[in-house]
Formats: sequence, structure tokens, C-alpha cells
Amino acid sequence: MTRVTNADKALLKIAFCRIDAVAMAIATGAVSGLLLFLATAVLLVKGAPPGMEVGPHLELLGIYLPGYSVTWWGSLLGAGYGLLIGAVIGSLAAGMWNFTHYLYMTAMVIRASWLRMMVD
Amino acid sequence: MNKNTYVYESNENQVVETNIDERLLGAVIRLNTFLTAAVMGILGGLGLFFTTLLSLNRGLPNPGNYLNLLGVFMPGYEVTPTGAWIGLLWGGLIGAISGGVLYRVYAHNLRIHVRNFLLQDKSGDEPYTLIVPIGGKALGLALGTVIAGGLVVTTNWLVIRGTADESVHARLLGNYLPGYSISLPGSLIGAVQLFLFVFVLCMLWSWIYNRIITTRHRGTPK
Repeated sequence: MTRVTNADKALLKIAFCRIDAVAMAIATGAVSGLLLFLATAVLLVKGAPPGMEVGPHLELLGIYLPGYSVTWWGSLLGAGYGLLIGAVIGSLAAGMWNFTHYLYMTAMVIRASWLRMMVD
Repeated sequence: MNKNTYVYESNENQVVETNIDERLLGAVIRLNTFLTAAVMGILGGLGLFFTTLLSLNRGLPNPGNYLNLLGVFMPGYEVTPTGAWIGLLWGGLIGAISGGVLYRVYAHNLRIHVRNFLLQDKSGDEPYTLIVPIGGKALGLALGTVIAGGLVVTTNWLVIRGTADESVHARLLGNYLPGYSISLPGSLIGAVQLFLFVFVLCMLWSWIYNRIITTRHRGTPK
């Protein structure tokens, strides 16, 4: 059976689709937490020459993330921070995406109504 | 109208023939490119602005010792109150360009979204209520391109400036990207690895996102 469809409406619906802020927050948080954990763990596994500190530059993240250090405990704490910061950035990005699309759609509807009124 | 016809076959052996207006597709891509650039620009600008302010107000003896190095790539930027505003502009500009490129590359996936949408026949859904899954491969390709491209540009900027040998901090990336160095071949080796890493992360990210939206919106119009 052949079904012929006009894709224009589908395309518009997809163009103005929403992003699920909760899913975005969880996914972004999980990935950024994993990223910070891996960044720390790689340095710990590689180690440093005798007498040298491991990851002195990555440790500077402690300026922004209190308690964070390049240790196994720090990698877990970093994962927690990454989860939190990623979740905030993810939900912000989703909220802004949805808001800008909502604004644009509202502006289009108002403009269309105004044009219709002018024609009438 | 400039319409192209695409023919798809659904799981139920149903053939779906569809017309896509290429002008509308182009307009949709332009609009979303602009909006993605706006969102990423705002996030990038505010991100650098608040990071600078946080660095200034942590009460450290030498604030911005390392963050100041961003001034190599963003002329005028430094960890001062004025520098924070310049950082807002630079962060906004770089975020907007990255966002624009990101959506442009991702938009190659748009036809697949339309196909999936039509095969599932969600004719009852209204605009703005729809939540579509995100294509991990397309996102990985887009984000990987932006980030790996950024690594090539920034590394070679250091080479062009003639400060490659002094760039000890950039060289630390070699801890994560074996073979990376501050040179054209080194940047390309690093970019390939970074692209692959970002691609894998995007696949993971989209898998988590798509699983959650499937669970959260089961039984309700997506």
C-alpha cells in the first residue's frame, strides 16, 4: 500500500519541536560527570615522575569546585560536580531553546493575525 | 515550488511517498541555525563572564594566573572587571559561531527526522508539543567537527604567532591525546582523536536522552 504524504507540515513540526529539559539535564549531567571523572582518572593512572605532583594544572579546578583534587576521592567529587554543572547547563540550554522557539512562534502568530486583520 | 520526492518503506511494508519543499527546508535550517547560535552565544558569553568574575572574587593572591592565557586567543581579554565584559563579547561570538556550525552540520539529519515522523504517522501532534529523539551520530558528527576544528584552529594559531615552544600548557593536552603537539601534524592527530572521543560521548548522551524521553512520554503524544 502506498501512502502519499506532504512533508511540509512534518518538517515544521520538527523544526519547532521541544527539547525535554529534564532529559537534557540528566543526559548532559551524566556525560559531563563522566568526563571529569575520566579526566582525573587518566592522570592518576598515568602517574607522575618521582617527586612530582600528579595533575597540578587540573587541580586548579579546585578554585571553582571546592574540595576537588587530582585524587581518587577527587575524581568522584569531580564526577558529582560535573553532574551538577552539566545538569544546570543542560536544563538552561533546553529552556533557552524552547523559549526562543516559543517566542518566534508567538511572533509569527501575531504577525499572521495582524496581516489577516489588515486584509479584512 | 522546488519539491523533491522521497520514497520510504515502513516496517509494515507500507510505502510512504513524501514531498519535501527544499525552500522550506532551507528556511527551517536557517531559522534553527540562527536560534542555536543565539542560545550558544548567550551561554558562551555568560559562561566566560561569570567564570572571570568568580576567578576575581575568590580572594586568591594571583587571580587569573591561568585564565589570562585565554587572551592569546581572545585579544583584549584578561581577568579584570573590564576583561570580563570583553570576555562576554568573545564568549558570545565564539559560542554563536560554534552553535551555527553545530546546527548546520546536524541539520543533515533533518530529512531522517521527517522520514521517521511520517513513518510513525503522528498526524495528531501539534507544533511545539512534539519532542523528537536526537540523532547521536549526527550530533557526534556536528559536535565532533566543531570541537576538533576548534583544536586545529587554536593550535595552529599558536604556531602562527610563533609561540609554539612556549605553550607549555597547551602541550599538556598530550596527556589525553597521545601524539598531540603544537604543530600542524600534531594538531591533526589530536583532532582525529578528539573527534572520535566526542563522537562516542555524543552517542552515549543521545542514548541517555532518548531513553528518558521514551520513558517520560510513553503513552502521551511526543
